Amino acid sequence: MKNIHTEGAAEAAPAVITLDRVSFGYDPEHPILHDLSLSISGGQWVSIVGSNGCGKSTLVKLLNALLPKSDGEITVCGHRLEEESIQDIRQCIGMVFQNPDNQFIGATVEEDIVFGLEGLCLPYAEMEERLQAISVKLGIDHLLSKHPGELSGGQKQRVAIASILAMRPGIVIFDEASSMLDEGSRNELMEILQGMRAEGNYTILMITHDADEILASDRVLALHGGGLAADVTPAELFRDEELLRKCHLREPYPWQLARELQQLGIPVEVPADEKELIDRLWPSNYSK
Amino acid sequence: MNERLLLGRSIETGSWVHKLDARSKILAMLLYLVVILLADSWWAMAGLAVFSAAVLASTKVPLKYYIKAAKPLRYLMLFIFVVQALTIKEGEPLFSIGSFALHEGGLSLAAFSVIRMFLLITFTALLTFTTRPAKLNQGLEGVLSPLKKLGLSPERITLMISIALRFIPTILDESQIIMKAQASRGADLKELPLKEKMRMLVSLLVPVISSAFRRAQDLVYSMEARGFRMDAPRTKYHRPAWGAADTAFILMFVIMGVAVVVL
Repeated sequence: MKNIHTEGAAEAAPAVITLDRVSFGYDPEHPILHDLSLSISGGQWVSIVGSNGCGKSTLVKLLNALLPKSDGEITVCGHRLEEESIQDIRQCIGMVFQNPDNQFIGATVEEDIVFGLEGLCLPYAEMEERLQAISVKLGIDHLLSKHPGELSGGQKQRVAIASILAMRPGIVIFDEASSMLDEGSRNELMEILQGMRAEGNYTILMITHDADEILASDRVLALHGGGLAADVTPAELFRDEELLRKCHLREPYPWQLARELQQLGIPVEVPADEKELIDRLWPSNYSK
Repeated sequence: MNERLLLGRSIETGSWVHKLDARSKILAMLLYLVVILLADSWWAMAGLAVFSAAVLASTKVPLKYYIKAAKPLRYLMLFIFVVQALTIKEGEPLFSIGSFALHEGGLSLAAFSVIRMFLLITFTALLTFTTRPAKLNQGLEGVLSPLKKLGLSPERITLMISIALRFIPTILDESQIIMKAQASRGADLKELPLKEKMRMLVSLLVPVISSAFRRAQDLVYSMEARGFRMDAPRTKYHRPAWGAADTAFILMFVIMGVAVVVL
């Protein structure tokens, strides 16, 4: 089952997150995560999938000590997770959560973005510069004086991402960050993520159920029953029907279509996205 | 939502009052409270009203916003007026119906109470209209800083206040949703007799409170993930700066206080 796969480009990069036999559970008899070992290299975009309650959220919360691990070793950006290193590790990891309302700390967009910067004890000029830079970059510079009640869900999530990126973490974790957004805001979130990948400064961990988001990532970690069920590429995940069923996932639409066409005896290769599928299908009209 | 929670929202107009240090505005408000309580003649009240109107006008915030801020309390003001007018038996009796008698002194005292209340509300509104929440909080932190000597942390108090203010609209919206959800299942609050209404309110409170706790948990995760630690050193994005205008602003209220006592 275990099939350690690393993308060619990321292979050389050193690991930024290492878990060694990590466990977590309120009750030692029934741990939520058990004996989990894995490592993630810098610059990778990793999807974490699994059915509800399988410990995805728990796993990412262990990384920056929002939850205390019961056993094992966690190393993040060269810091071994201990009581003393928690603050250093939290500086390396930014986290965007599911509910855009509940992670809005400030009374206005501006305050929310500077909240983290104040905690880093940055001088005023630096805060001002980072605030301006990030708000222009994410297109929220016209919203700075707005209250959360005046923003849409997508805008609030954008603010949450801005607040995190302004702190310049190397690792950004999205904990089902798109699950409460509409289709349009989801696509905007994907654009931000693609932009972050293009910059190459971020390691991205994304908990998600969304097929398109999984397909965009480099690597998929599938959790099941408190352990790692698979460590594969998105393509391998979507080819494995049993694994999909285990994780309560669905194939992306072009994959479903390609599969059904194959069953009808039409030879179509599995496409990467909708456009590729269309490109492969239209010549068959002529060849007949 | 903006209508419902006018208090606590700032309205930017760029007036000189907006530019004042939040601390001076908070101190001025305390002084104003004293001045209001000292004023006990019609002349003093009139002078105070003119003074207040002048200060309100100089904020360039439309007057209707101030009136809107006082509007939710109009029944309370009416109630206070009626109760005081009917119970205080001072001065010449004007007229009486049965055992109720309206006295001159009672009437003016009742009027004073209502005017005082109105002035205080509009002035509190001035504080919040002209000061952004972050600055207001910081001003409060400054004003409360003597509490440090008593072992209390002003930062904690202001953090609590700011988070409470931030989440009041969210939680109000949520209770509306839950009420509608209950109404859609046939339990409409408006249609029920009083006793049932009370029972329904309990069944409203339980989900609202449990969801508030969930929100609190999420917020804590979010704050901790951004490196927040209680009592850890932080720099401030908004820096308060006490200027000559602030001293002048305070002096204005001191002079007004003296004038009220003399009048």
